[in-house]
Amino acid sequence: MMRKLITGTTLLAVMLGGGLLTGCSTSVERMDTNEAIDLSGEWNDTDSRLVSEEMIRDVLSRPWIGEFNIQKHKAPAVIVGEMKNLSHEHINVATFVGDMERELINSGKVEFVASKTERGEIRDERRDQELNARSDTTKAMGQELGADFMLKGTINTILDTDGKTQVRYYQIDLTLISMIDNRKVWVGQKKIKKLVKKPGLRW
Amino acid sequence: MKNIRCNKETATRAVSLFLIMITALLGSGCASITTQKDPLAPYMMTQQPQQAVAALDALKLSDRDQIIYNLDKGILLRMQGDLKGSNAILEPAKAMIQKLDAVSIREQAAAVSVNDSMRSYLPPTFERAMLHVVMALNYLEQNDYNDARIEALQLNELLKQHKDDDPLPFAHYIIGLIFEANGELDDALIAYRHTYNDYHTSKAKIPLLLKQDLLRLTQHLGLEDEEKKYSEEFQLKSWPTQAALKQQGQVVAILFNGLIPRKQSEELNFLSPRDGPLHRISVPSYESRVPQISNAKLIIANNSSNTQLLDELDQHAYANLSAEMPAIITRTVARVAVKNRIVDKTRDQSPLLGLALNIATFISETADTRAWKTLPQDILIARSVVAPGNYTIEMQLENGQSKSWPDSNIAKEKIRFVSWHWANSHVTGRRPRQ
Repeated sequence: MMRKLITGTTLLAVMLGGGLLTGCSTSVERMDTNEAIDLSGEWNDTDSRLVSEEMIRDVLSRPWIGEFNIQKHKAPAVIVGEMKNLSHEHINVATFVGDMERELINSGKVEFVASKTERGEIRDERRDQELNARSDTTKAMGQELGADFMLKGTINTILDTDGKTQVRYYQIDLTLISMIDNRKVWVGQKKIKKLVKKPGLRW
Repeated sequence: MKNIRCNKETATRAVSLFLIMITALLGSGCASITTQKDPLAPYMMTQQPQQAVAALDALKLSDRDQIIYNLDKGILLRMQGDLKGSNAILEPAKAMIQKLDAVSIREQAAAVSVNDSMRSYLPPTFERAMLHVVMALNYLEQNDYNDARIEALQLNELLKQHKDDDPLPFAHYIIGLIFEANGELDDALIAYRHTYNDYHTSKAKIPLLLKQDLLRLTQHLGLEDEEKKYSEEFQLKSWPTQAALKQQGQVVAILFNGLIPRKQSEELNFLSPRDGPLHRISVPSYESRVPQISNAKLIIANNSSNTQLLDELDQHAYANLSAEMPAIITRTVARVAVKNRIVDKTRDQSPLLGLALNIATFISETADTRAWKTLPQDILIARSVVAPGNYTIEMQLENGQSKSWPDSNIAKEKIRFVSWHWANSHVTGRRPRQ
């Protein structure tokens, strides 16, 4: 009887100990990248993806693209310019710009020009080719595709805080500017509003 | 049998009294002040931030003090010139503060039964403001005005949430400078107005730089009534106009001067009137410190400008402790009651165990002296206007020491930021400076 009791107690202790150890260990769960998870209420991957998808869908459905096709008989070449972060957060603008580029390129309705930094790297490579590559494989300088339009934008925020409750309002403004005459051919705006309630107590 | 028990009780009581007397003697009599050794200060004062980082890493702070580690390391890394590394270690501190802002039930219970240091360290408002200021300066010195602007917005939000607390002129002034550096002059003026109000509220002397900024921007933005008001109050004969600045470049030099005074533990040890337990009441207080220097010069080519006192951080530290003191005393009294009750109950069952517990509760009663100790005591600032070009920027202290930034480009309509930590200071007493 006593032995059974000791064995039972030992088992219980091992199970409890195991449970506690499991609770302390790091857990990793793979997730669908489209799943929306809000932890802090700050700008996250879901905001970046949703805004870029919606804005690009809007820009590609407006008359400027049809007018350009009729006039020039080709798809417009677009470049993404400065995306200025005027918000309260250190937002990684690069992922947002990347999301927009992906949406634009994959639409097949526009041609896309590499960014300023990327162009610099490619030009360095061409210069290197001129010196080192076989002549029949060398890519000549001065053959680049010039952009017809530049997409620029800003991310702004307004915060309204009362104690542990905060309303976070994001406004993303994008403008498509014609490179030839500085005309603004499209202006898009997307707003996101989040109510963040912070806990007053913790364990 | 009764006789033996009586002898045993007498012996236990005698041993108890003896140990209590010894402990009381060790506790340095009735009232005492305990200061903790600061391993970072000597290295900071001798301009050896690398060694200070090594000393900080060797401290092996608990999870409760993780924020202090990040804050101290952020300062030490920027002293080394690693501005990116400094911001990389400071940024997570913001998330930690957000998390710790919620009251921990477990830590509060431990604070009432052991001591206040059982709670995770949550920086007071002036330290949180300094976190943004230090990060903003790190960005500004890398010419990253946009990220500095984000810090300014976050700092502004913090100040809005604590608008009824101790005014922080240094914080509002840095916000103004950042908006100016970004060309947002109307927002800069709003921040300078707040700075002006902060100085008035705290009855501190308004630096000449702020007077000139207010006059320059109200004039530039056509706010004639406001300009007239400042003009009558400040009685300045001239100041640089915005039109003149438009053709020039500017340099702002910031000196983090001295070291913020350390908290010490002020203790009162006493015995209960009868042969009851030994008690200790322990509360934090500040020492008095004086920086080695009080003035410096910003020298660019043949142009020299004296620094001005932007703010005294020790005054904010004292104000914060005063505001905290009622809560500290309430917790201390509650703790004495809790500890006393536990010791009494244990003594009833086992006098010897009761004695051991009394000594343990006595020793564990220490004040919470944690703080961001690598902060400066004063912030000095100088601003210089020069023709665009490449210069050697030099900061020269009144003790002859200097630091230079050779071949610095000062562009038209841009503000170039430089900063330096001169931590040398000494303790002058056990009471705060007035």
